[in-house]
Amino acid sequence: MIPELGQFALALALGLALVQSIVPMMGAARGNLVWMRSAQSTALGQLVFVAVAFGALMWAFVVSDFTVKNVADNSNSLKPMIYKVAATWGSHEGSLLLWTLILTLFGAGVAVFGANIPHALRARTLAVQAWIGVGFLSFMIFTSNPFDRLSPAPVDGSDLNPLLQDIGLALHPPLLYVGYVGFSIVFSFAVAALIEGRVDAAWARWVRPWTLAAWMSLTGGIALGSWWAYYELGWGGWWFWDPVENVSFMPWLLGTALLHSAIVTEKRGAFKSWTILLAILTFSLSLLGTFIVRSGLLTSVHAFAVDPERGVYILALLGISIGGSLTLYAWRAPAMEGGGLFTPISREGGLLINNLLLATATGTVLFGTLYPLFLEAITGEKISVGPPFYNMSFNPLMLPLIFVMGLGPFLSWKRADLRGVAQRLWLVFGVSFVAMLVVWYIVTKGPVIAILAFGLAIWLMLATLQEWGARIKLFRAPFSESWRRMKNLPRASHGMTMAHLGLAVCIFGFVGSSAWKDEVVTFAEPGTKIVVAGFTVEFEGVERVRGPNYIASRATLDVTRDGEFITKLYPERRNYPVAQSSTTESAIRHTLAGDLYASIAAPASEQAGNAWTLRVLYEPLVNFIWLGSFMLVLGGALSLSDRRLRVGAPRRAKTPANVQPAE
Amino acid sequence: MMFWILGAAMALVAAVIVVLPLWRRGGAQIGHTEGALAIFVDQLKEIEDERVRGLISDEEAAAAAVEIKRRMLNVEKQGGARIVSKGGALALMASAVLVPALAGGVYVLNGAPGLPSQPFAERADEREEDRRIADLTERLRARLLAEENGGATEGWVLLGQTYMRMGRYGDAVWAFERLEEREDVTAGILTQLAEALIAVDQGAVTVRANALLDRALQMDPLSPAGSYYKAQWLEQDGRPAKARELLMLRMRQEDSFQPWMESFLAQINRLGASIGEAPVTLADFVDMPRGPSAEDVEAAGEMSEEDRGAFIRQMVSNLAERMEEEPENLDGWLQLGRAYGVLGERENALAAYRAAEGLLDGLAADDPRRGVVAQGLAANGG
Repeated sequence: MIPELGQFALALALGLALVQSIVPMMGAARGNLVWMRSAQSTALGQLVFVAVAFGALMWAFVVSDFTVKNVADNSNSLKPMIYKVAATWGSHEGSLLLWTLILTLFGAGVAVFGANIPHALRARTLAVQAWIGVGFLSFMIFTSNPFDRLSPAPVDGSDLNPLLQDIGLALHPPLLYVGYVGFSIVFSFAVAALIEGRVDAAWARWVRPWTLAAWMSLTGGIALGSWWAYYELGWGGWWFWDPVENVSFMPWLLGTALLHSAIVTEKRGAFKSWTILLAILTFSLSLLGTFIVRSGLLTSVHAFAVDPERGVYILALLGISIGGSLTLYAWRAPAMEGGGLFTPISREGGLLINNLLLATATGTVLFGTLYPLFLEAITGEKISVGPPFYNMSFNPLMLPLIFVMGLGPFLSWKRADLRGVAQRLWLVFGVSFVAMLVVWYIVTKGPVIAILAFGLAIWLMLATLQEWGARIKLFRAPFSESWRRMKNLPRASHGMTMAHLGLAVCIFGFVGSSAWKDEVVTFAEPGTKIVVAGFTVEFEGVERVRGPNYIASRATLDVTRDGEFITKLYPERRNYPVAQSSTTESAIRHTLAGDLYASIAAPASEQAGNAWTLRVLYEPLVNFIWLGSFMLVLGGALSLSDRRLRVGAPRRAKTPANVQPAE
Repeated sequence: MMFWILGAAMALVAAVIVVLPLWRRGGAQIGHTEGALAIFVDQLKEIEDERVRGLISDEEAAAAAVEIKRRMLNVEKQGGARIVSKGGALALMASAVLVPALAGGVYVLNGAPGLPSQPFAERADEREEDRRIADLTERLRARLLAEENGGATEGWVLLGQTYMRMGRYGDAVWAFERLEEREDVTAGILTQLAEALIAVDQGAVTVRANALLDRALQMDPLSPAGSYYKAQWLEQDGRPAKARELLMLRMRQEDSFQPWMESFLAQINRLGASIGEAPVTLADFVDMPRGPSAEDVEAAGEMSEEDRGAFIRQMVSNLAERMEEEPENLDGWLQLGRAYGVLGERENALAAYRAAEGLLDGLAADDPRRGVVAQGLAANGG
């Protein structure tokens, strides 16, 4: 009965979405307040019913109700409970349901927390959000129903891909989706503004918190995803320029550009139509990403033909949403009046460079991701575009970006005094340069770009700290004065500092772990000793271990340095009999300075007997990647908590004027 | 019942949600002008704060403030849209009806309201039953393996078939393989082994399975399973026309309906559709009783006088044999009587019409067949 209620709840959500896509839009056009306000209750209603459906599906997974086809295909009674829960969004249908849940969550968010948004804009935004909802709900109900039933039910389910049985999977898609789908509301705001024909500084302020929320989750999601790849795939890498990664990275790049261009729109009334375009494109890339991954296009172009019904629906959805919004943009954007003027050397100028570089980088990644698909579709030739392409195209684009990032916050709006800025920064520049040379000296063989990147990261970090220090007059005023200033600084500005520092920290990790990694792959027999980055690793042997739904071969590695015991590592090779597949569980010794990473693979051949393929890596600074990512998210959160983002709500307006502003 | 109550409650909630704005008139609502002004006022305050703290010069602050004030004027000039806070109730009420109706319609398309949930924990009985079968199967296996002569053929067949039903195709292959080289192996066992192999390979007919099919068809050219999977092999080999032909041929070798014909027919038509052949029906193969078909007659026309006589006699004796099995078939007897009459075998013709006469009782008085029987009897001296 419960799966059927879930099914019916989805149908009701579709009905509500249909009403919400028409009535508020008409209300905004006619100035009918009741119709406009209906968007708020229907947006909440949609959330409730989609949540009921999601809960029903999750219930079916938790109790292993194999009358639900989705459960029978993606779960198994033996599976640990946490992965049963996570399997809810592990399949195509389930992940669409999660997608829709987050879509409605953001809609409901605007309905509940958007009290400072004018009613017409809010109504139109929610209506556009409902259009997306109608598209996804109908796609799900008519082509990818998560509640298809089986009768008679199979005795047991056919398990979830064991690669995906991991805590990373449990958290990764939900976070990534919150980011992906979060940009839907920014898209809806943009389309609503185009329909309304009014984009101004206030609009940018209203949209800002939603952009921030989406950007934060996407950052967190990507970071978790790379963390998962790092310790689950057993290759020691954290980013592979894999299309699945790229499709989440592109909205991030463009979303970052959007975040910055919206600041210009907010502060200076400029970049209006560019901000709108970015909002549309960011979500379009999210949509494209969702569908590229979900349609199986990535494995092969032919996957599309296997399920033409879904394929055509997807193409139609993409065509209508992206094509429609861009057409609307082409029609309405020219009517927007330009904003304030500025000289090339100014905060605006810096942000413009940021935007251009980020957009170019997005284009590069998009090209690298889609080119193999098009090539295969047209010529049938299969190629893969890998790290060499991105190292040559994407990485060089990032270097000037980091340089400008250090500089940007010092520039003032409209016209800036470059000489003055240079005077303030020469020390930072000098220290960075010296640091660069020192690094070069230590690692003589290191590639030039890595050293350059490292130096730039230090530059970015120091410049960001200097800017922050200058704002609070650190060391130039008594400490109590600096403390007071720091507390009075808007949270958004702390947020910027934190996020920029976070990126610098990330770059340390990127460069350290890829340019200076030490790797040994060898056939190991009990007693084999290898030396990696000063560590002596002795392979003691492999034993069989039984897990809840797998059998593992667990190796024991004894790690010493200069004869001193450091730790023991236990990498595993797990075999899942039900799913008939195996996974690698790497063993990692984490330290801030670097990770010692070990994984084993099955014996090379039958004759090899006890010989295992042992892979040991030392990855310097790799944990800085996730530390930096966390700082990025934290920066977003700080910014989001800024009081100013809530200005405009009537309750705020009633605050007595004599109360000290709390910024 | 519970489902319908809860479903109705959910539908009601959805309907109420749509009309909610008609009752709940509270809540914050601001127009564009006031909302934008609030933000600009805040921005002015911010600039003032920054000026006081010395982050920007007085000059810059003044310029920024002028710019923001210009924006404020702009917003006020644009003004807000005219707002009506009444009316529109009808549209909302209509929507409130529409939502559950539409959802109901969608649900009817997709749902299975009668199908109960079956949580894993509540299916212990079913698992017990499965375990019992698995247990019995295991015991059968152990006994067959223990027997000195390698186990009775029937035992292995039973074991293989049980494995097939359990979906353990690999084990089924193993069981049938025990019999592959035995002297008493039948075409049926070989086709079952082939079938298990095909199941293991998820529908792909491997070279080995094909060899088994060939062997089975050699032993029993009429094995339906042999022909069926042989056609599958031909299709996977890129010869759909040939596959269809093989299936058609096997169908034609039967005179009466067989249970396996439905699946043959489905295959024939699926293959036919892929190569542009018109669909066929069961009636094209088994019509009861069946006289010589148009093709047969055409074939007869090309024969020598002698051959034709033999051919017709063969057809007639076929019919006669069938009539022994179906003595109640009036039309059959009439056809047989006429055929004997043409061949000049008057005694046989007379016997056929006599048999037909016995079946006339239930017929209406004006049934034309009464006349046919009377005529036949008279013509053959009855």
